[in-house]
This record gives sequence, structure tokens and C-alpha cells, in this order.
Amino acid sequence: MGTINAAFSVMSGALDADQQALNVVANNVANANTPGYTRETPDWQENQPLSIGGVSIGQGVSETGSTSERDRVLESRLDQQQQLAASSGSRLTALDTLQALFTPDSGSTSSTAGDIGSDITKLFDSFASLEANPTNNALRQSVLSSAGMLAGDVSNAAASLNSQRAALDQETAGVASQVNSLTSAIAQLNQQIQTNSPSVDAGTLEDQRQQDLSQLSQLIGINQITTENNGLAVTTTSGQLLLSQGTSYQLSTGMVNGVTDFFLGNTDITAQLATGGGSLGGELTARDQDIPGVLHSLDQLAYSISTSVNQQNNAGTALDGQMGTAANPLYIFSQPTAVAGSALGMSVVMTDPNQIAAAGAGSGTGDNSNATAMAAMANREIVSGQTPSNYYSNFVTTLGSTVSGVQTENTALNASVTQLQTQNNALSGVNLNDEASLMTTFERSYQAASQVFAMMNTIMASALNLGDQTTVS
Amino acid sequence: MRVDPFYVTNLVGSLDQAQASEQQLSSELSSGVSINSLSQNPVGAGQNVLLLNQIQQDDSFTQSSSLVTGQLQVADSALGSVVTQLTQAISLATGANNGTMNPSNVTSVSNQIAGILDEVTSLANTSYQGQYIFAGGQTSNVPFATSTATTPAVTKYSGDEDVNYLESPNGQRIQLNVPGNQIFLGTGSNSVFGALNALIADYSTGMVDTTQAVSDTNELTSALNYVSQQRVTIDNSMTQLTAASEAVTNVQTQLTTAQTDLMQADIPTVATQLSLAETQQTALEDVIAQLNSTSSDLFSKLPG
Repeated sequence: MGTINAAFSVMSGALDADQQALNVVANNVANANTPGYTRETPDWQENQPLSIGGVSIGQGVSETGSTSERDRVLESRLDQQQQLAASSGSRLTALDTLQALFTPDSGSTSSTAGDIGSDITKLFDSFASLEANPTNNALRQSVLSSAGMLAGDVSNAAASLNSQRAALDQETAGVASQVNSLTSAIAQLNQQIQTNSPSVDAGTLEDQRQQDLSQLSQLIGINQITTENNGLAVTTTSGQLLLSQGTSYQLSTGMVNGVTDFFLGNTDITAQLATGGGSLGGELTARDQDIPGVLHSLDQLAYSISTSVNQQNNAGTALDGQMGTAANPLYIFSQPTAVAGSALGMSVVMTDPNQIAAAGAGSGTGDNSNATAMAAMANREIVSGQTPSNYYSNFVTTLGSTVSGVQTENTALNASVTQLQTQNNALSGVNLNDEASLMTTFERSYQAASQVFAMMNTIMASALNLGDQTTVS
Repeated sequence: MRVDPFYVTNLVGSLDQAQASEQQLSSELSSGVSINSLSQNPVGAGQNVLLLNQIQQDDSFTQSSSLVTGQLQVADSALGSVVTQLTQAISLATGANNGTMNPSNVTSVSNQIAGILDEVTSLANTSYQGQYIFAGGQTSNVPFATSTATTPAVTKYSGDEDVNYLESPNGQRIQLNVPGNQIFLGTGSNSVFGALNALIADYSTGMVDTTQAVSDTNELTSALNYVSQQRVTIDNSMTQLTAASEAVTNVQTQLTTAQTDLMQADIPTVATQLSLAETQQTALEDVIAQLNSTSSDLFSKLPG
């Protein structure tokens, strides 16, 4: 049978429980803006009832702690999406810098400076002008200056590409140490979580681990595998183990072919990291695919124009009546030996404009047939089966499409990250209105319990006084 | 259903986007160019390269054609003078051939024709900007010189047969010169210098072999006709050049319009877009300010 004493006990338990619940609310409000904090809700448990003489008597409530409101699947999904978004984001940054080298020429005279497309046209136009007056020194000089302009702009672009690549390489090299410190931290947290709470959510520790995983996801592509006792193993997207429970495996870097490569143990995992995601993935893609691709196209352009123009000039007669020989070829550009490096090495070696062979082989110096042939190269398919201008036009279209494609992809990925973030925040974020409402509820509950306690006290006094109201108040 | 308590952060993201869009639109307005980077319009950027290439080719051809027009005009006027000189020589020879002149007058005709020969030689050696225009490809050497070692004297050509062409952007080849030997030492009985030298020899002694002189005079007449025919080639080139130049200028105008349409920012559209973006920005700022005000928070409504 329940007694007034038992009712006192139930009420004091309720007061304790309400205080603990208020503590949880206070903690939520305090951490409302803490990155990675997961909202906690108080756990209530009805106390085991007493059964006396076949009558079940309730024993009140206990507050048994709190639960972090977390959806592991959602969090892991968010991490994955962040890896992809970070990858396309860092690639986009690199590509934006890259495409700035090839800003479209608006057509006004001031904008043509540095535009390779205009330079190509001007070079062949200068040969066309020479047709009109093949012996004119000014026209010959303008051929050399157009050639110098093209060579300068192409080699400058190639040099800028190389320095962009070197800058990206430096950025990537720094990522390894960040990854290593994060994997070590996660391994330590793994150990603490496995020791402290092997079976249930580890709350704050879990928040920290998730925060570290989220940061790691910004850097590289990872897979998460839950192991026993709330442990966690992390691999790269392609399956190389980065950490398992309490042990982390350090990423190391080394120079291979002039760029930084990444090793796990003795295995070179650079290519896998490039496709894996994270900002490192995007940077490696830009460093190892995008920039070399653009550089190769420029090399091809420089190689084809240099060799074709040299060959055609060498086939004609210079103003002094001389023809090119094996020992002294009539070369306008430095003759490249291989496609690779042609853009960077493109330069004008001819210094005497009289060496331009406007006249055909064996013709008088007033002949213009070779100048006509050189001007006609503008419409000949001398660069990879395309005319030089078509080749450059396709090159800018391809580059622009790549950048535009990555932009679209990045926008979509960012939108999906925002969506997942919103879902995750909706579940795990601290909503101050919610907390205000909960606080009011618990406060009211606490007040009610106090009130009941006070009433009980009066009832108890009545019982002790046995009707005499003055003995105990 | 729970909502994201940090929705204001998302709104700030939208605000950033609105501002980025304003920045882009302002840069289009200030530069007047609609394609500021390749990714904005990759196909347009590629087309732009080709359009500019054609426009510049056309421009270059227009400049070249005005250069060669000068040369062709000089050639034409030189040949015009040659025709005048030869007509005069024929009239002198015809006078000498009718048998009414005394030997001293005949010798004087010989001297006058020799003067004409000098004049024609000088015209055949016409140069334009330091280059001999009737020398074929050997434009740096004087093409015609007369040797008086024999009688009649011989005028020799030291140029070659080379013909230059100017190619228009659409591939039309326009002839720029006629080699001097073709004009002045034409095949068979069409040699200007042969006929002039022969006539000088015919009249030099004062005694006229009428048969020979008439034959040589006829030869000069036929040579004159031949020069006129060669002059037609030069005139044709000038006509072709004018036509080609006009056609190219027309194409260039069209291409420039196309290129301008492609690259130039459409100011009214951009201004409208900018105004919309600004409105959006203001609206977002108002919403954020409203949501951030303390009165919207439940805590602010609690007593105490």
C-alpha cells in the first residue's frame, strides 16, 4: 500500500529528473552554435512499480541520461556528398584560374593583346600582306614581329600553366599532414568511444569523431565502416585502409616525375586519390589531367605552326637569293624536336627579315609564290588535321565546355550538400524555440512536482497533528 | 516535422549568389562584353575565334589590295605612255617611208626614234617602291638594256618569266604583273624593241630601203597592238581587285555585325537582370533582418 512517505520519494525523484532534463536543455542551448554538436534529448524512464498485496503502485520517474539525435546513414551520406562537392569545387577553382589565360577577345583593338587566336591570324595575315610586295622591308619586319607576338604569347601561356601546376602541387603536398592529424585524432576517439560506451551512442565523443570525419571528407574521398563496440574503420574511396579502430596509417608524400605523389606504406595511391573526391581529388585532377591536357593542346599548336612555317620558309628563296641548306636552314621559329615542350620553347630565331623566303625555290627575289604558300597555310589543315584557327577555336570551346561542365556539376553537388545539410540540421541541430518550449515544459513539471511536494507536506502535517493544527505547521 | 534551425545560413548563401550575379552583370555592363570567360559560353568563344580570324583576314586583304592597286596603276600608266610613244614612232616612220624626205630629215627621224627608244626603255624599266615592275621576279635588277655593238642594236631582257598573284580570302588569284619580255619582246613580229632598233638602223644613214622600212614599221604597229593587249591583263587585274575588295568589305561588315552581336553585352537585358538581382538582394536582406530580430525568438516571449 502506498504511503505519504512513498509519495514524497516519488516527488523528490521527479524533481531530480526534471533538474537533469533542464540540464540537458541548458547544454543544448549552450552548444547551439558549436560546430558538429548534435542535439540531445533527455531519456525518461518509468520506475519499476511496487506490487504490494497484489496492488501495483507506481514509483515515479528517473532521468537516465540523454541521447544524441543522430542519423548515421544521413551523416555518412552527407560526408560522401561533401567529398564530391569539395572535389569539384577545388577543380573549379583551378580551372577558373586556368581559363583566365584564354579570355575571349572581344574584337576591340585593346583586347587583342595576348590573344593567341588573334596572334595566329596576324601571323598568316602578315604573309598575305607580303604577297602584295614581297621585297618590302616593313612588311617583312611585320612578319617577324607577328611571329614574335605569337611565340611570346604561347610560351607565356605555357609558362603560366606550369607555374599554376607547381602552385597546385604545393597545395596538395600540404594536405597529407592534415589528413594524418585527422586520422590520428579519429583513431584516438575510436579508442575512447570503445572504452567508454561500446554499446550506445557516445554523445560528445561521437560528435567530435563525426566532426573530424566531416573535415576529412573535405580533404579526401573516404569510406566509413562501422566495426564492433562502436568502432570505426576508414578507407580511401578505392579501399586503402587509413585507420582501423585505434590505429591510423600515415599518408606520406614523395616527388615522382617532378610532382608530389601520395603513398600509403609503399603503395603509390595518387591516381586513386585523384578520382576519390575531396579537395585533394579535385586538385590532383586539375594538376594531372586538366593542366597537362591544355598544355598538350598548346604544345601541339606550337609544334605544328613552328615546323610547318619553318618547312615552308625553308622551301623558298630569301631576299638575298639564298635558299636554305641543311647547315643553315631558313627557320623563322626555333625548330622543335618533339611535341612536348614546344609551347614553352616557342620563340623566333630569325633576326634578319631578309631571310624570310617570300620567293619560290629558284625564283627571282621579287617572286611571291612562297609568301602565298605560307599565307595559304592559314587555311591548310596543318594542326592535327585542322586549320590553325579551327584548332584554336576547338581548343577554347573544349576548355570552356570543361569549365562550364564542372561549374554545373559543382552547383548541383553544392545544392545536394545543402539539402542533406538541411535534413541533418533538421534532425540534429539545436532549435532554440524547441529548447524554449522544452524548458518551459520541464520548468512547469518541476513547479508541479514542487507544488505536489508542498501539498504532501501539508497533508503530512495534518497526519502528524492528528487533527490538532498547531503542533506541526 | 522539424525544420533546419539554421535556415538563415541558407538565406545568406542565397544572398551571396545574388551578389555574385550582380557582380557578373556589372562587369558585363562596364566592359560591354557579354562573354568574359570561356565557360560563360564555350561555343560562342569558339565561334568568336573563327569570326575574328575571318574579319582580320578580310581586313588584311583590303589593305594588301590598296597596296597592289598602286603598283598596277603605275604599270598601267607606264604602258599608256609606251602606247603614246609608239604611236608617235609609227607616225614618224610612216612619214619617212613615203620617199619625200631628204637624207638629213631621214637621219633626224632616226634620231627621234632613238629618243623614243630611250623613253620606252625607261618606261619598261619603271620601278615602284624600288622594285622594277616589268622584270618578272628579278625585281631588283634593271630589266632592259640596249647594246649598240651590232647594227641594228639589240635590247636585251635580264628579268624572268615570273608572275605574281594575290590570293583573296576566298581563294581568288589575281595577277599582279606581266613579265617585261612578254610586253616588249613579244613572240614573232611583236617585239617593240626589235622593231624600234630596226627602224633606227633603217633611217640612220639617211638612205631608206623602203621595203625594209615599211616591213619594220608594220612590225612596230603589230608590236603596239600587242602591248595594248598586255595592258588589258593589267586593267583586268585592277577591275578584279576592286570587285574582290568590295566583296570582301561586304563580307567583313556582315562578319563584324555577327561578331558584335555575339560578344557585345545586350545593355537593356543586362540592366534589367541587374535590377532584378538588386531587388532580390534587398528582399533577402529584409527577410534575414526580420528573421534575426529577437522578437521572433520564443525565448524572448518567456517571462523573466
